[in-house]
Amino acid sequence: MLAMQRAPGLEDGSATLPLGISAIDAVLGGGLLRGALHEIAAPGETHLVAVAGFALGLTKLIAPSPRFFWIVEDMALAESGALYGAGFNAFGLTPERQVTVSVAHRRDLLWVMEEVLHCRAVDVVIGEIRGGEINSVAVRRLSYAAAKNGGLALLLRASPSSGASTATTRWIVSTAPSAGSHGPGAPRFAAQLIRNRRGPVGSWILEWSYRNAQFILATHAQPMAAPVFDRPYSQAAREIA
Amino acid sequence: MPLVVTGKRGNVEILTAVDDAAEKLGLSRGSALAQARAMHPNIDTVAEDIEADAALLESIADWCLRYTPLVACDAPDGLLLDISGCAHLYGGEHELIADLSGRLENAGFAYSLAIAGTIGAAWAAAHYGKPESYACGEERTLLNPLPLASLRLPPATVASLGRVGLKCIGDIVDLPRAPLTARFGFEVLRQLDRALGQEHEPLTPRLPVAPYVAEQRFAEPIAREEDVLAITERLARRLQFALERRGDGARRIELTLFRADGAVRRIAAGTSRSLRNPDEIRALFVERLAALADALDPGFGFDMARLSVIVAEPCAAEQVGIGGCEDKADLCRLVDRLSARLGARRVRRLVAQDSHIPELAEVALPAQTIHGDTGWDAFHRYRKEVELPPRPLRLLSRPEPIEAVAEVPDGPPLRFRWRRALHEVMAAEGPERIEGAWWSEHGGPARDYFRVEDKSGMRFWLFRAGLYRDLTQAGTAPSWFLHGTFA
Repeated sequence: MLAMQRAPGLEDGSATLPLGISAIDAVLGGGLLRGALHEIAAPGETHLVAVAGFALGLTKLIAPSPRFFWIVEDMALAESGALYGAGFNAFGLTPERQVTVSVAHRRDLLWVMEEVLHCRAVDVVIGEIRGGEINSVAVRRLSYAAAKNGGLALLLRASPSSGASTATTRWIVSTAPSAGSHGPGAPRFAAQLIRNRRGPVGSWILEWSYRNAQFILATHAQPMAAPVFDRPYSQAAREIA
Repeated sequence: MPLVVTGKRGNVEILTAVDDAAEKLGLSRGSALAQARAMHPNIDTVAEDIEADAALLESIADWCLRYTPLVACDAPDGLLLDISGCAHLYGGEHELIADLSGRLENAGFAYSLAIAGTIGAAWAAAHYGKPESYACGEERTLLNPLPLASLRLPPATVASLGRVGLKCIGDIVDLPRAPLTARFGFEVLRQLDRALGQEHEPLTPRLPVAPYVAEQRFAEPIAREEDVLAITERLARRLQFALERRGDGARRIELTLFRADGAVRRIAAGTSRSLRNPDEIRALFVERLAALADALDPGFGFDMARLSVIVAEPCAAEQVGIGGCEDKADLCRLVDRLSARLGARRVRRLVAQDSHIPELAEVALPAQTIHGDTGWDAFHRYRKEVELPPRPLRLLSRPEPIEAVAEVPDGPPLRFRWRRALHEVMAAEGPERIEGAWWSEHGGPARDYFRVEDKSGMRFWLFRAGLYRDLTQAGTAPSWFLHGTFA
């Protein structure tokens, strides 16, 4: 059954990255498109760590032991702290295959992302941007660079942008209460797909399963409120249309 | 108007330098300013600036690198150049002196040059001998008439030698050595032996001598950046043969550009593996030139360029073309490019450390410098063995103090305030006790770590510093810190 549902993705198996959840993979047309730029925003700066967790989960899905670059502004390092090797190791990622690049300016960040995308030895490039708009030309260049070499580019943002973007998908991810009976449980993300060039949008609560190193659809007993962010329905509807 | 430079020595303002006009008036270095003023009220005085003098000397030293890589500063106003084996590039020692003095003259410096077989003799000749003296192999005849001060002896020793009638070097050369040493100390004969070449005196170059150097002089100065890059590649091609012959590769490369007007620009680039491919070296300098904070100012152009490999390392012969290797080389190239553009410290990898304290358990080091074991194998084994409790995804560079209220004294907090936002704790796990470095004075107290989740699902790593028992005994309130965040 699962194999059948994954079938559309298997045709161009290398081109998409199935999340392993049939509902989402169907919406995405087989999975997250590789060789493309994806934008993942947090509803606010405090949710940035959830965005990072979601991005690292996607990174783990792409290869058993992916090599990834994490590019971040100096300010963000001071504000939210650096990635902790022993921490992301729990996502099944090996710290020895991670490189951090800290930059002083945003234009350097986009330049570094593009440079890294040109390198075939790197599987995933994660760039983290705080508030503010970014140069749309630079973003388009990132999309081209990703498409050319088949690398996965993830642009993390502290707040959803209102401007146009060439990103293949745009997500808003925030933390969701975990279901641990005894202390905090496995991390849960309220993921909202707000733009999808290849199909409809949707919103899900995902849980990262440490044991299987993949996302699973969270089954929540109690009703869950949608993440709070400034986004009137009419605007969302316009964008979808 | 005669110009003098003044500076304070002890409590006296003295003249530290005088110009030609002042010299003609009979003023000299070392005389008191008050005395000089009394004799010649209309002299112009300038306070000395020791740092600027030192900087100027360094820049002249840099510029002298065109003659030899072995240049040492002899503060406050001298330079020592070891030109052994370099003079023939200029057609001989006399020609080298002519070239050097011509350039110094053009730059407007007053100078005194000497070439000799030993540092001591050259120093003595330059300071006390005839201008532009040349005394290779005849150090003894050159030194005989010179005053003893030219042996670089302390003034007190020179004065006491003077009191017994020993004024010139010639006076002490043939004296019996034992009584001389007994009376005036060991220093006198050592300096004499050094000047005469009977004892070796090492020269300490200002910059490390590069194991591989290639240079090019231009008849017409070059100014365009493309030309600089083209010449870099050509020099790299020349170095490639030398590197290959000895099986070495470059780990740190420096490009030295000599401007026609005497300014020298040094640009260095590091690599993450031994490198000898000229194209890759060129690519590195493309990034370095693009990242220069102050643009490469050619002025009237560069009349000489030198490419030196400062650090070389054996370069393992690599098989090209079969998977894996290519990937690794690709990655190294990327790291080098990024490091060249942004600075090596901005491109980092994590290295696991042998520490149980969270912030010391791993450090981020420049990716270019990391080779071989990064310590993570040991960490993976350790994690498997002890079932390490969860660690945060992001660790703050230093724990931030929070206001926390705990339900039970040594339990997890009920609510806490971090960066002015109040968080209600819904679920908590802990404590995980992490001892401080008890063997060290600055080890800090033990910490009780808790993993907590607030209402919106955000997960934090908090700790209370110090054991609760100790805190109550001391009568202080427990202090809480937030150290990291979980996904």
